[in-house]
Amino acid sequence: MNDTWTERLSEYIDGTLPDAERAALEAHLAGCTACRTTLDELRRVVARARALDDRPPAADLWPAIAEQIGVSSGAHHVVSLAERRTRRVTFTVPQLAAAAAVLLLLGSGGAYLALRRPPVEGGGAIAQRGPAADLTTSPVGWVQKTSSRYDAAVAELQSALEQGRASGRLDSATVRVLTQSLVTIDSAIVQARRALAADPGSAYLNQHLADTMRRKLELLRRASALAPART
Amino acid sequence: MELTSPGAATLRRDPDQATGGGGTGDAETADVALAASGDGRAFERLYRSHVARVHSLARRMINPDVADDVTQDVFVRAWSKLGTFRGEAAFGTWLHRLAINVILARRTTLGTERGRYYDAENVLDAVPGRPVVHELSLDFQQAIGRLPDGAREVFVLHDVEGYKHEEIADMLGIVPGTSKSQLHHARMALRKYLE
Repeated sequence: MNDTWTERLSEYIDGTLPDAERAALEAHLAGCTACRTTLDELRRVVARARALDDRPPAADLWPAIAEQIGVSSGAHHVVSLAERRTRRVTFTVPQLAAAAAVLLLLGSGGAYLALRRPPVEGGGAIAQRGPAADLTTSPVGWVQKTSSRYDAAVAELQSALEQGRASGRLDSATVRVLTQSLVTIDSAIVQARRALAADPGSAYLNQHLADTMRRKLELLRRASALAPART
Repeated sequence: MELTSPGAATLRRDPDQATGGGGTGDAETADVALAASGDGRAFERLYRSHVARVHSLARRMINPDVADDVTQDVFVRAWSKLGTFRGEAAFGTWLHRLAINVILARRTTLGTERGRYYDAENVLDAVPGRPVVHELSLDFQQAIGRLPDGAREVFVLHDVEGYKHEEIADMLGIVPGTSKSQLHHARMALRKYLE
């Protein structure tokens, strides 16, 4: 095939042909069966390319990646900032204590909820009696009991984060990503609380709220570590 | 090569666009922030979300035999570069551009510069050192793999990944006219492999 216009068919398909040439090509196409056939085939090639599916690798590559970057490929693992950055990491003792206490409480609540027996058909959720029963007399009891301590820990960490922001140790891009993340998480917490208010017996919603609150605390804790805190 | 953001609006296959920027994208933003602070589990979630796209890109752009290795390299580099992620583009777009940079660098390392830009319709016949396979036995994906490097890279970046000629020219160090020409020859060659 050696038609002068054939070379321009891809540009025609992509819409990058100048108006005058496009009009001339269209006039040519009206009378050239070979070019129309080629044009149709090229369009099918483009459509086929766009329809290609992405496939994951045959073998899981994560274990090898995890080994290379120094994290566990199994259980939850957080690389210490000291391993990744030379930046000094400092927490105040109250910050660490508050974060640890709230994480422990949230973790206990989550574990309890995970271990709860499923709702009995035709009845409400039945709380399992045990060591944590005092936290779950009300389905949201443990969340309520941790709320004030959670708020205090969040406030403490946000204060540390704000200091890092004000001191310029956190650049604007980092602040933007963190702020966006916190807004997202706060929105999720609000939604979870609303849903829980409508369905206070839902183990799923309790678990979801606990996870989301824990996630916010975790993010704040790590964000605070990016900037030196008061000592 | 500087890691810049491609014209995100031009990417047809941007997974972040596919999710509509809804809940999945929000969760991913949080994972990026967590991973940047050293959370391996958050980074694993990012890996699970994007590995198929990165691996497919490597498989098509360079060589199926080294796709695993290249994909690992991409994610190892992403982990070390997460601190430079500005949030100006979606994480998937940033990762995708990083993957392209890694692939192009690997291509040079492997010395796959042979016959980069063929100016002929039957480019599949012009590739030296590739096994002779009965053409009709090739499927479309295999045929892409047999294109000369230049035509294959342009075809994958333009028709599969949705980049513009100007962006491709910048990535590959060629002029947009060469990108257009290579794309046309790749398409012409691949017509024979439509199922």
